[in-house]
Amino acid sequence: MAYSLSLGLLYLGLLCGNGLVSARSELFTPDPSRGPHFTGCRSREQETFRCWWSAGIFQNLTEPGALRVFYQTKNFLSEWQECPDYTRTVKNECYFNKTFTQIWTSYCIQLRSVRENITYDEACFTVENIVHPDPPIGLNWTLLNVSRSGLHFDVLVRWAPPPSADVQMGWMSLVYQVQYRVRNNSHWEMLDLESGTQQSIYGLHTDKEYEVRVRCKMSAFDNFGEFSGSIIVHVAQIPSKESTFPTTLVLIFGVIGVVILLVLLIFSQQQRLMVIFLPPIPAPKIKGIDPELLKNGKLDQLNSLLSSQDMYKPDFYHEDPWVEFIQLDLDDPAEKNESSDTQHLLGVSRSGSSHVLNFKSDDDSGRASCYDPEIPNPEDLASLLPGHSGRGDNHPLVSRSSSSIPDLGVQQTKEVEETPIQTQPAVPSWVNMDFLCQVSDFTPAGGVVLSPGQLNSSPEKKKEEENEKKIQFQLLSDGAYTSENTARQLSASVPPSPGPEQGYQTFPTQAVEGNLWNGEYLVSTSDSQTPYLLPEAPPAPILPPVSDYTVVQEVDAQHSLLLNPPSSQPAICPHSPNKHLPAMPTMPMGYLTPDLLGNLTP
Amino acid sequence: MNRVKVLQAWLWCVSLWSCWLSHAIPLDCKDETGSLIQCTSISQEKLLDRVIQHAELIYRVSEESCTLFEDMFVPYPLHALRNQGGTVWHTKPFPIPGSKTEIQQISDKWLLHSVLMLVQSWMEPLIYLQTTLNRYDDAPDALLNKTKWVSDKLLSLEQGVVVLIRKMLDEGILTPSVFEHTLTPYDEPSPEVLESILRDYNLLICFKKDAHKMETFLKLLKCRQSNKLSCLSY
Repeated sequence: MAYSLSLGLLYLGLLCGNGLVSARSELFTPDPSRGPHFTGCRSREQETFRCWWSAGIFQNLTEPGALRVFYQTKNFLSEWQECPDYTRTVKNECYFNKTFTQIWTSYCIQLRSVRENITYDEACFTVENIVHPDPPIGLNWTLLNVSRSGLHFDVLVRWAPPPSADVQMGWMSLVYQVQYRVRNNSHWEMLDLESGTQQSIYGLHTDKEYEVRVRCKMSAFDNFGEFSGSIIVHVAQIPSKESTFPTTLVLIFGVIGVVILLVLLIFSQQQRLMVIFLPPIPAPKIKGIDPELLKNGKLDQLNSLLSSQDMYKPDFYHEDPWVEFIQLDLDDPAEKNESSDTQHLLGVSRSGSSHVLNFKSDDDSGRASCYDPEIPNPEDLASLLPGHSGRGDNHPLVSRSSSSIPDLGVQQTKEVEETPIQTQPAVPSWVNMDFLCQVSDFTPAGGVVLSPGQLNSSPEKKKEEENEKKIQFQLLSDGAYTSENTARQLSASVPPSPGPEQGYQTFPTQAVEGNLWNGEYLVSTSDSQTPYLLPEAPPAPILPPVSDYTVVQEVDAQHSLLLNPPSSQPAICPHSPNKHLPAMPTMPMGYLTPDLLGNLTP
Repeated sequence: MNRVKVLQAWLWCVSLWSCWLSHAIPLDCKDETGSLIQCTSISQEKLLDRVIQHAELIYRVSEESCTLFEDMFVPYPLHALRNQGGTVWHTKPFPIPGSKTEIQQISDKWLLHSVLMLVQSWMEPLIYLQTTLNRYDDAPDALLNKTKWVSDKLLSLEQGVVVLIRKMLDEGILTPSVFEHTLTPYDEPSPEVLESILRDYNLLICFKKDAHKMETFLKLLKCRQSNKLSCLSY
């Protein structure tokens, strides 16, 4: 009940009073358009307060006493009391001294014209809400520090609270605000509220004059007091040109020195820098060929170089390779003695099968093996001589390097199962090697098996050396020839073969499959093979001296070489080679000319 | 007869021993982790400083809460209510003087007791205020947090004042609350929004005023402790 009553009173008060309470900042500015009204109430120290009013447009009420102020405190007294003290010196001011000032109580004042009994204005407030403290006193500053460059400095500003405010007792708890600006500037810089009595200002410029002032207010209230008087803060700039001068000099000299160093460096390392920045363009080069050689014009070397370049061309052997490599001696009738060789070589037919020399072109040129001065083991060579059936599916004899020879040797030994092949440990022939290769066998796949050549061709030894495959490698500069000598040797060493008709030279493979010769080289038969193949052969069969040369009788349709039989069997191949050219493995005597080849090619 | 005497003597011994124990055993204090540590004693001045800090903070936060509430809910024409200091919504058992002279004449004992009374009188209304603020649709969280914070701080302030009373006045407070509300206006339902807003606004204003009172009293007390001469009325 009482609460609702108080609320109602509140509303009344609001309706009636619309003076200073609604606008707190409006003070001391009488509104001439209005009637008599309060212009403001203020307290300085929360112990006394004053109120001012104005007559407004009613000029007839300006005489003193026409308007009177009544007040009422809301605590316990409900009566309206008149202003305890009208200030004599100041017009229209009502002063409430300590005895009449109570905080934490709300006051209501009224401006009345007693004569007319009209209340012109009313306002309600509490004293602490109208407190505007006095400005602080004793504002001074001290220099904190100056920056290294001498351009900035910091100051500490100090002041004292207003003497009227009883801060010590705690009656008023004040907070302060410091403002500063560059002199004659219009904008003031404001710092945060400070509850203490000092504050530092940072970042001021030397050679500039600053104004600093401070004001205070009660904490938790909004009314600031007046500003204190401004003080001037100024720090003269210390002339420090002497310190800057050497630094600039040092900088300049340093830069000059660095530039000189750079120039010297560039000039001294000119060549290197040229290489780095302008690398030389590589001239066109062919591998292996010295440009100087071209300039000097030595054709032989040039030819050799150029030809060596072509050594590994795959197309090389597709175009009549054997024509260039094989040197056939068709005109020599003595070659007939080598029929045995060819027989051996063509000994595949003895077993009933006729095999064709396959003279396929092989990618692997056998030249390298013939060129290779390395001479394989005697065992390897032994394997190449007759008695060695066409072993190995892929046995390009001459096409392989010397490393292939061991394979052949191995195979040969394997073939002759019960015939231990003895190889002479002595390898004298390796030292004095001929430059011709002795083809001793052809593999079914078309590989050519080379046989070791015999240097010391004694019949006995030859016999003994039948099994030992000595290959005489005679390297030619431009091909793997089987020299006539070697062919003859081979053919001579070949024992009489069973069938003259067997145009193919085989190794003692009569019991084994036939040979197919592949490759580009002549195969020189080692012997008639028979003694090698037969298991009853002596434990150390000796290779008959074989001729190193053989004669190519013909080339069959599969580009296989048909070689003459060895000379020990002259009767074997009495036939003219030409007869068999188109078909079968008979052995024509003589060389195979390219024309013949042309006929043979399918 | 002998038995009775023996019994009495034994009872005396037991009571004395318990008294001695109660004085000898120190108060169990707990540090942050909760483990029992020896209680650290604090000097009276430090305690008073801390109590004053509490009161200052409460006063500042109450003013902020009042401003927040005013900006959020109170229509602008009614902002003048603040200046008017609010209406008295409950009577106190004893009047508190408002003039400086009168206050300066208040004794220390009376100062402390009045502070304690003020603190205790505001505990319930603040809790109620929290519930009412939650009813508003868009009450800012800052306001709710501040109100909650003030409630908590009031409790600790009360404890501090109790200890001060015990230390300075050598009194023991037996009853936790000697003050009871004579008027509970919040029992009445208030369907109108404006009325409830005004009531809460008034509550905040009054609380701010009372917080100011607490702070002033405590500061006066401190002033008296340090330098009696300057704190007396001149």
